[in-house]
Amino acid sequence: MTWYRNAGTRLLLNSRVSISSEPLSSNKQSSKEPQREPISPYSQAANRTNRIISLFRGLYAKPSSAIGTTIFLIFLTVALFGPLIAPYGVNEQIAADARQPPSLQHWFGTDNLGRDVFTRVVIGARDILALAGLGTLLAVVCGTAFGLLSGYMGAWFDEGLMRLFDSLLAMPALLLSLLLLGILGPSRSSVLIVIVIVYTPIVARVVRSVVLSVKTRGFVEASRLQGESIPYILFREILPSTLPALTVESALRFSYAIFLVASLGFLGVGVQPPNPDWGLMVKEARVHVFQIPWAMYFPAGAIALVVIGVNLMSDGIKRVWQKSG
Amino acid sequence: MKSNNQPTKKRLPLFMAVFLIMMLFLQACSGAATTSAPAEGTLRVAMQPLVQTDPALISSDSEVLVANHIYDYLVDVDPQSNPIPRLATGWDVSEDGLVYTFTLAEGVTFHDGSPFTAQDVVWTFNRLRDPDAEYPTSDLYANIESIEATGDLEVIFTLNQPNPFFLYDLSDNHALVMKAETEDTTQFNGTGPFVVTNYSPEDRIEMTANANYWAEGQPKLAGLEIIFFADETAAVDALRSGQVDLAMRMSAALFESLKDEPGVNTINIPTNGFDLVRLRSDREPGNNPKVIEAFKLATDRDAIFSLVTQGYGAVGRDSPIGPLYSAYYTEDTPIPARDVEAARQLLADAGYPDGLTLDLHTPDTGNRPDLAVVLKEQWAEAGIDVNVLVEPESVYYGDDGWLEVTLGITGWGSRPYPQFYPDVMLVCDAKWNESHFCDEEFDQLALTAGTTLDEDERVQAYADIQELLIERGPVIIPYFFGQFAAISDKFDRFDLKAFAGRTDFRDVSFKQ
Repeated sequence: MTWYRNAGTRLLLNSRVSISSEPLSSNKQSSKEPQREPISPYSQAANRTNRIISLFRGLYAKPSSAIGTTIFLIFLTVALFGPLIAPYGVNEQIAADARQPPSLQHWFGTDNLGRDVFTRVVIGARDILALAGLGTLLAVVCGTAFGLLSGYMGAWFDEGLMRLFDSLLAMPALLLSLLLLGILGPSRSSVLIVIVIVYTPIVARVVRSVVLSVKTRGFVEASRLQGESIPYILFREILPSTLPALTVESALRFSYAIFLVASLGFLGVGVQPPNPDWGLMVKEARVHVFQIPWAMYFPAGAIALVVIGVNLMSDGIKRVWQKSG
Repeated sequence: MKSNNQPTKKRLPLFMAVFLIMMLFLQACSGAATTSAPAEGTLRVAMQPLVQTDPALISSDSEVLVANHIYDYLVDVDPQSNPIPRLATGWDVSEDGLVYTFTLAEGVTFHDGSPFTAQDVVWTFNRLRDPDAEYPTSDLYANIESIEATGDLEVIFTLNQPNPFFLYDLSDNHALVMKAETEDTTQFNGTGPFVVTNYSPEDRIEMTANANYWAEGQPKLAGLEIIFFADETAAVDALRSGQVDLAMRMSAALFESLKDEPGVNTINIPTNGFDLVRLRSDREPGNNPKVIEAFKLATDRDAIFSLVTQGYGAVGRDSPIGPLYSAYYTEDTPIPARDVEAARQLLADAGYPDGLTLDLHTPDTGNRPDLAVVLKEQWAEAGIDVNVLVEPESVYYGDDGWLEVTLGITGWGSRPYPQFYPDVMLVCDAKWNESHFCDEEFDQLALTAGTTLDEDERVQAYADIQELLIERGPVIIPYFFGQFAAISDKFDRFDLKAFAGRTDFRDVSFKQ
């Protein structure tokens, strides 16, 4: 009893100390930062790995983000090594094994055409993460470029671009996607284009808001007075300050992109059969749900797990970034 | 940490409360939509929503089903595909097969009380055959020279050419007898067994038994209610939960799942409906007979039958004349066994040593997407690489795009007699010649089969047609569908028809 109470007070004391010392030290750091600017590329890389390590330490400090991160990492591993894990061909149809419940031969059972559901979920992970990941990446790149330019240039350019983005955002994402796919025709690359078009305005807005608050700060003014070129100011001075918000937004966009790809697959306007797209698998298995429910529940569960995982992880990232200022 | 968590914990009950209220609200809404408990003995049928209510324009199962119970056919067809009397109580055919004399039922009245006469029959069929009105039946009835009322209850049809299937033509889905000079078809003024009391588009159509119905003892039900479901899964769910009593037309998977359902009887019958895989024969690569042969050799019909249709229906033989037409169907010509190597060789001989790459278009309904996916795998083994394009049915059939595509899958419904298929899809100038097939010998055979009055000659012509199609027809017919229905065991004497919309509820009765 006594040691426990002691430990408690010690913890409390410690935390109080750390709380009081934290703002001080971080203040010091930030005031010193500009002087430390010229650092060799080697130590910069080391700094980056340190940052990633501390990010993961932060993520695993709380159970919710730890679970989220673990789920995401498992799916990422599955996606990377999918063909090695998958026991059957992705579209291999074994007529004799059609509509089998989960067993040792077929872990997730087989669908109505005798295809192994486990294999299709595994290969589908690769497809959906690649598609959603690439789409998000492109959207983030475009959105960042537009956001930086728009926020920094201001005036008519900002007005014009933002009103254009507002009009895109006024439409619900799914409706806009259906509209675009109606024009582009259903295919993988169309889905990619749709993700980019739907998410670029959102990312651009977030980046722009950060730029607006940063561009009046002293260090930006200073480099402008020094006569630095606009690209230099945008990418070397302003961009780093947007990174925390951008990382959180990207993670969030990524989880929505997974959802979007799956939704479009489910509606039959996205990736076309026989691709093992999770949304498409749910759609195909839906009519068979009373007969072979496993063919629907496993891909549906995979969608839910990945989306939840990525969401929890992005919450964690947000928390870690906010803590470290 | 703790103080950080508290606000969310406090908010949780609030969220729960809001969520609960929303659920209750939703529940209340859905409750409101399913009021009006039907009277005892009312059969509630789940069907797709109606698009057309004019008998001359109807086409879907639900449209035909509704019309079939509001109006009457002159001649009907029984579940075994034999012509039977309905408004016409009997008929007399002249020696040369050109003049048909019909005697009409006595004491028949329309729902508005006016009497039914021969004039109504004349008006109805003149409307249906009007070449300027562009009704789907104008081609079908082009062979009619004249229609005359020779008495209050006698009508004479005179033909240009003898047509051994004329009685079937008169029982065409659209040929429901309407009151002469009808303009507003939403009044539903028919002579049929049920009278419409309420029609809410997209929701339901309610009917009560016609107390003055001319046929003795019919209908046996007190009422009929067609409740609209756009989705077959929803329809089957409604049957499970007792919201409807009958669901027709469903996938084999849904049918399988209903087999153990208590209180529900399941019925499945073979039909002559089929999915047709066709390659255009008037352009590359289908204009080379070797390519067509390669496609056929690369297809494994038995695997398709067990995977796609789950073994319901029948394995197809690349001809639309299926086993249901027992008088004309033959298995005398064997279907060549699957031979992937031979198919590869044929493709090489035809100038495609590296195989072929093609788009395979398919509507998104029924088993067609599954069929496309199975074919993709089977053909890939022979070096035919197809890219499956699943399109909404309205897009696939819209603007006649389905007649244009090189490689496609099309569903064809079941008909009471076989002549329909060669006439509308395989002769040179056929209206829906989607494979663009044109073969002189075939046209001659189709003409013989459709016009001869000698039954033996017709049997021979159909046998030759089947042989010719197996040998060089640009179509693969991998299976004939089964037709499925599930009905509450409170109802008796339900007789499902191959075309579900033509199912007749006049004899269906409610068990006390």
